Amino acid sequence: MEKMKKLSKTKSISYAKWGYIFIIPFFVVYLIFTLYPQLLTIYNSFFEYYRDGLNVIGPNFVGLRNYKELFTINNAGYVPIVKYSLNTLILWIIGAVPQFLIAMLLALFFTSTRLNIKGQQFFKTVIYMPNLIMASAFSMLFFALFSQVGPINQLLQSWGAVNEPINFLGMTISVRGLIGLMNFLMWFGNTTILLMAGIQGIDESMFESARLDGSNSTQVFFNITMPLLMPIFIYVFITSMIGGIQMFDVPQVLTNGKGTPNLTSTTLIMYLNNFLGVSKNFGMAGAVSVLLFIITAVLSAFVFKTITRK
Amino acid sequence: MNSNANRNAKIKLFISRFVVYAILIFLAFLCLFFFWLMFVNSTRSNAQLQSGFALFPKENFLKNFYNAWHDGTIDIPTGMKNSFIVAICSALLTTYFSALTAYGTYVYNFRFKKAVHLFILAIMMIPSQVSAVGFIQLAFKFHLTNKLWLLIVPSIAAPAVYFYMRQYLQATLPLEMVEAARIDGSNEFRIFNQIVLPIMKPAMAVQMIFSFVGSWNNYFMPSLLLNDAKKKTVPVMIGTLRSADFTKFDMGKVYMLMLMAILPVMVIYIILSKSIIKGVTSGSVKG
Amino acid sequence: MKKLLSILLAILMVFTLAACGNGGNGGEEPAEEGKVLNLWTWNDEFWGFLCDYYADEVIDEFTATKGDVTIKRTTYISDNMAYQDALDAALLAQADAPADEKVDMFLAEADYIIKYTNSDATMDVTSIGVTDFSNTYKYTVEAASDANGVVKGVSFQCCPSALIYRRSIAKEVLGTDDPAEVQAALDSWEKFDEVAAIAKEKGYYMVPTPLETYRTFSNNTTSGWVVDGKLNIDPAIQNWMDQAEKYMAEGYAPFAAGIWDAEKNDQMFADGKTMCFFGPAWYFNFCMGNAQDPERGCYGDWAICQGPQAHFWGGTWMLAATGTDNPTMVADIMNTFINDEEVCSKLVSEKAQFSNNQAVNNKFAADESYGNDFLGGQNDTAVFAELAKYIKFQNVTPYDQGCNEGIQNAYREFLNGTVTKEEALANFKDSIKTTYPGITVE
Repeated sequence: MEKMKKLSKTKSISYAKWGYIFIIPFFVVYLIFTLYPQLLTIYNSFFEYYRDGLNVIGPNFVGLRNYKELFTINNAGYVPIVKYSLNTLILWIIGAVPQFLIAMLLALFFTSTRLNIKGQQFFKTVIYMPNLIMASAFSMLFFALFSQVGPINQLLQSWGAVNEPINFLGMTISVRGLIGLMNFLMWFGNTTILLMAGIQGIDESMFESARLDGSNSTQVFFNITMPLLMPIFIYVFITSMIGGIQMFDVPQVLTNGKGTPNLTSTTLIMYLNNFLGVSKNFGMAGAVSVLLFIITAVLSAFVFKTITRK
Repeated sequence: MNSNANRNAKIKLFISRFVVYAILIFLAFLCLFFFWLMFVNSTRSNAQLQSGFALFPKENFLKNFYNAWHDGTIDIPTGMKNSFIVAICSALLTTYFSALTAYGTYVYNFRFKKAVHLFILAIMMIPSQVSAVGFIQLAFKFHLTNKLWLLIVPSIAAPAVYFYMRQYLQATLPLEMVEAARIDGSNEFRIFNQIVLPIMKPAMAVQMIFSFVGSWNNYFMPSLLLNDAKKKTVPVMIGTLRSADFTKFDMGKVYMLMLMAILPVMVIYIILSKSIIKGVTSGSVKG
Repeated sequence: MKKLLSILLAILMVFTLAACGNGGNGGEEPAEEGKVLNLWTWNDEFWGFLCDYYADEVIDEFTATKGDVTIKRTTYISDNMAYQDALDAALLAQADAPADEKVDMFLAEADYIIKYTNSDATMDVTSIGVTDFSNTYKYTVEAASDANGVVKGVSFQCCPSALIYRRSIAKEVLGTDDPAEVQAALDSWEKFDEVAAIAKEKGYYMVPTPLETYRTFSNNTTSGWVVDGKLNIDPAIQNWMDQAEKYMAEGYAPFAAGIWDAEKNDQMFADGKTMCFFGPAWYFNFCMGNAQDPERGCYGDWAICQGPQAHFWGGTWMLAATGTDNPTMVADIMNTFINDEEVCSKLVSEKAQFSNNQAVNNKFAADESYGNDFLGGQNDTAVFAELAKYIKFQNVTPYDQGCNEGIQNAYREFLNGTVTKEEALANFKDSIKTTYPGITVE
């Protein structure tokens, strides 16, 4: 009895301590393995710091020179980072547009009581599967399948669809198309499931009353489903965009890091990765990272707003 | 009149269903086709592969398996061992510590509770690539490249897993339960480990799977940190497959290596697909 | 906050120190030699020879033993300079590494050997007992020496590169498959072009890709890739670019494939349509697997001759790493592969290598009964022994791998028609800027 009293008396003071203790591991690890490296990355971006063979050059403070170089027009007449940003955006769009259209459609199919689709579990299982596949292996697979002597060309030739093999990996349109296709396959199942959950979360009575008002299914979609689904849709959309900025494995492996043809499939992270190759150019890589950080931070702000909204 | 309209509606429904099933079957086909080709090709010899397209398996599966397993540059058995170590340890650490952190900000009242929670949400979407430069610089400085633990330990701070755990706690853990346990005289760690963790089992299981899959497939950081053949993980090895190499003409072996790389995750998925798909939705925002 | 950060850093440092605490002995003369010899390679070619002719027991693909020493192989693929990158990291960390993890011996290629010979990461091998170079080809010693002539390693092979042709196709195109006659028809680039036109008429390709002839040009340059810190494109490289453009336009090659691509390897099958390939002994031993395929290959339907221009390609050198704790065994391996007559003979007779022992090579070259079945019984050693006389190791820079890979990759895109020539060159220069920030690129 006395023990109880003591406990309840000290409760509000002493338990707070446990809150701190429980979150310490998270923050220690975060500080050492994320925040400190992040600050160091920013710090690096103001230095000349790279490797020349077995010699390390720098670090020498150079102010904003790395940033200036990042935005300098090259011999081919363009600014590399601008080109690679656009590549990244285009590659993302090629995958994301069909991804969201198809996912929306499938989510409506699956949730439609009128259609009453059978075998939902099977379809969901199959369409979600590519999401779990190792992206680098998936990309390597596409490289092997679509090479000039690969099975797809063999198939097309045996059908007589083409005489000469198609150089899928040598043309901008097909390389970007393949990257888009892979991203689409990897993500549309995931998006479908998320949007489905969103639609299922909408109060059934909303649909009922709309139908009683005589709305047809198109009207229901645009007047009820879409507005109520909007928060989830935006959340999924922006997270997909942030994922798009990080695009690396698929184009890297498909083009062997070259971004062929003519660097039209080089993404921002591939560009970053090039600086971290044999030259270990921490200065330039730092500058690219800072840029990436700014872009993702802006997009993150939207996500943050969505998930903290009451 | 009425029956006519009824019949029209029925026909319309039949047609819509037909179209919908056709779309679904096409997409399912698209999802499976490429992997089927990978499997088929992993059963064919190099000469068979070069001589034409095939839709059905051949007899060279075991031969390709042997060649891939004993390849002279890609040490896939070691890669799989390393990948398993990293993926399993990360999965355990990330779920345990995320649950612990979520519990910390959910159950206890302390001054920065809200700030901490909001901070973690704010950093949730910042990709790890933006700190990669500093990370590998430190790794070089302290000679920590090729140390697998360097890929494991950072998973303790996983904001997205924290967010999931926090949502789950909010939905399932009544604070009275913690109170009751305190009255029984349990200390705070015991309460978490023996009372709260069992309640969180479903959430932990889902996150463990996702974390395992995430680490198993992770390519960017490992490819920058691991250059010792004995320490490389599977994706890094698969990445080098694409590199030009003059002893690599046996495509049967290449397909087999890809198959090996995705097989563990496939097996897990086939067994647990139901709960994995359920897990996809429960982690995201509630509308 | 600052204080917290410094505490965390301190923790991190303790961690790291603990992680490599038992290292850092770094003594000049270890009393006893190590039990582990670490060998770095970018493929398993040399490893195979080591297992067959040196090791006592082979444990698995990456481990073998000799006496009580375990030989461990670390392998990284060469492409995109991944091998150099990994090796550099290891060599830079060499001083702090525990004895059993130190690099003891590593292999290096002609394209970048100078980077390592001219650094402190490699050591004088004469000081550990490799002193007799009388049997080796002179250029192999020059290549392994630093600017002051200090020898840092040896090669187990000599790599003159030959023209490798399909006998059956040569018969149709030239009416003969005799190496001497084929050589007479192909001994200059002018003649090579003429024959290419004939081959095309008969439905064949002269080369599998325009990139195939790259080394014959890049090996006969008059200046290096980098001159006074500036990127320099030699006229010989320019000549190759012109030839490649012409060959693609004329249809003398089926694809502008990379030299290691499946598209190119496909041409080595019996039903391939290509007449000429270029490469040293290691090339047809290790890279022509499709030609040796039991089902679809064309084993024996090949022969070699000098070709339009003498050149060498690659070659693998063994270098002794500074700080090795196994100097005796490192020296022993080196001596075995250049001076042990029995081992060198086996390299030729069993592995179809062109060894780095002149006496042994000459013995096989003179042996009427010796022949290579893959080449239809031709005595390849005799051809290579002649070619070896012309090898010049010159105009090399530490940046050659990046430049050679870079120009081929960039120019290939022009050959494929995806970029203009100007764009290809601009892309090449950009890639050099990223790979070698220290080089001035205009």
